Amino acid sequence: MFSIEFLLNALVAGILLGGFYAAMSAGLSLSFGLLDVVNIAHPAFIIFGSYLTYYVNEHFGFDPILAGLVFAVPSYFLGVAVYKIYYNSFEKTGAESLRGLVFFFGLFFLIEVILIITYGVDYRLVRAFYIGKSTSIGSVGIAYRLFVPFLVGGILAAVLYLFLTKTFFGRAIMGVAQDSLAVQLMGVDPIRIKTVAFGIGIATAVIAGSLLIIIGPVEPTIGREYIGRVFAVTVLGGLGSMTGTLVGGLILGVAESFTSSFFGPSWALAVSFGILLICLAVRPSGLFGR
Amino acid sequence: MRSSTTRTWKGPTLAHSIVVDNVSAGYGAVRVLHGVSIQVNDGETVVLLGTNGNGKSTLIKCIMGIIQPDEGEIYLEADGERINLAGKNPEEIVNLGVALVPEGRRLFPRLTVEENLLLGAYREEARRGIDRNIAFAFEAFPVLAERKNQLAGSMSGGEQQMLAVARALMSAPKVLLVDEPSVGLAPILVSRVIAKIRELKEEYQLTVLMAEQNFNQAVKIADRGYIIVHGEIAFAGEDTEALAGHELVKKYYLGA
Repeated sequence: MFSIEFLLNALVAGILLGGFYAAMSAGLSLSFGLLDVVNIAHPAFIIFGSYLTYYVNEHFGFDPILAGLVFAVPSYFLGVAVYKIYYNSFEKTGAESLRGLVFFFGLFFLIEVILIITYGVDYRLVRAFYIGKSTSIGSVGIAYRLFVPFLVGGILAAVLYLFLTKTFFGRAIMGVAQDSLAVQLMGVDPIRIKTVAFGIGIATAVIAGSLLIIIGPVEPTIGREYIGRVFAVTVLGGLGSMTGTLVGGLILGVAESFTSSFFGPSWALAVSFGILLICLAVRPSGLFGR
Repeated sequence: MRSSTTRTWKGPTLAHSIVVDNVSAGYGAVRVLHGVSIQVNDGETVVLLGTNGNGKSTLIKCIMGIIQPDEGEIYLEADGERINLAGKNPEEIVNLGVALVPEGRRLFPRLTVEENLLLGAYREEARRGIDRNIAFAFEAFPVLAERKNQLAGSMSGGEQQMLAVARALMSAPKVLLVDEPSVGLAPILVSRVIAKIRELKEEYQLTVLMAEQNFNQAVKIADRGYIIVHGEIAFAGEDTEALAGHELVKKYYLGA
């Protein structure tokens, strides 16, 4: 059972899964890590993206990745609208800490209930030419349904990294939660920065949703399983660091893969919370946190 | 629209001045300023003197749009055009070419020195001159070049003040407001920062308004100044000798 082959397969599966975890967490790293907006509904937006992808795949035969990228655009505007409501109702009056959290919690269940009413509780899946196929390097099998999300996740994290560190707008996003008045003194409207950044976060959630339904079937409440994961990756990587999100995703992916290979899949969920707790105790700023 | 930001030499049309006319302002029910009028003419360095709690910072904040005055007018005169600053927010005022080195520096502690400087050049007009300005900032403050990849929050107070001045200048301003640059700095560092501000003022041909409670340092750079007491202008000194000779300065600063 503990052959090298077995270990290698678990490692590769974990790395592939990790790229997807990075894609799921990138948007949260933006909103929670850089804007101080505790968007606990982030996984619900991911599931929402899965169902959008499912709808156009089922009815029009759209490729799931393409669907995710196309839906990212209207989702950006959805995110902008959500942030505007959040800002005007909570942040503006300084009531964001607890009531804002309740707002996003409510949003989480609202999205879940809408999906249940619309589609029921059955699992849904998508079809694409790369789903169900795999290749192998030596004795290590690589399933395309894992490899494609890994690739897209890596690209997403890289694009966000470049956007944040190399553009004026990205640097303003990094600065806005540190000192909002100082951002104004640079000639920038902080509310606009936060609105756009939150919109981008929701757009990436919907892209991650298209990846999720490529990996496996999805039902409306599956987002609950991912709350711990996305927060673990975000905190482990270091709030707001895209490099950290990618590395954090890979670590969680590998850890989960080994845990489920050796102790069974039911333990996998405990890994994310375990990592989160250890990280908060040992290094609260995360691996790449500033 | 003027296309060039190259400041080869100041022409008569590039005049920038600040006019504060009879301004009253405060926080909530507390009034801090009572009918303050000052003027900072093009190319001048004017110092606003006063001990803590007399309204220096409040006046600077009013000009910058951080606080809206209850009464009175504030104008920026730019190229013969008179722009009313009342009702404008700080980002709009920055985009008119006014920069502030705020009290307490307000750097982005978890951004690097270089990222702080680049963020300073956010506004459209500043981006064109960004390479030249960053080279100049590093030349003026070599320590910033040495530490450009260090997080701003991990630097010493003096270095942070230099970064705050350099970052404000990255926005390619015409008017520079400086709020208490000496606070929290050792005397030797205060001298150095003040000397740098004077040097940069010459280089960039700035109009400068500086709030300061350290009289001896302030007069090194000032052309003239105002003494503000309990939210009112108590004395307007036409030159530094007039200021040094005034009884308030003698009483509060020179120990006479």
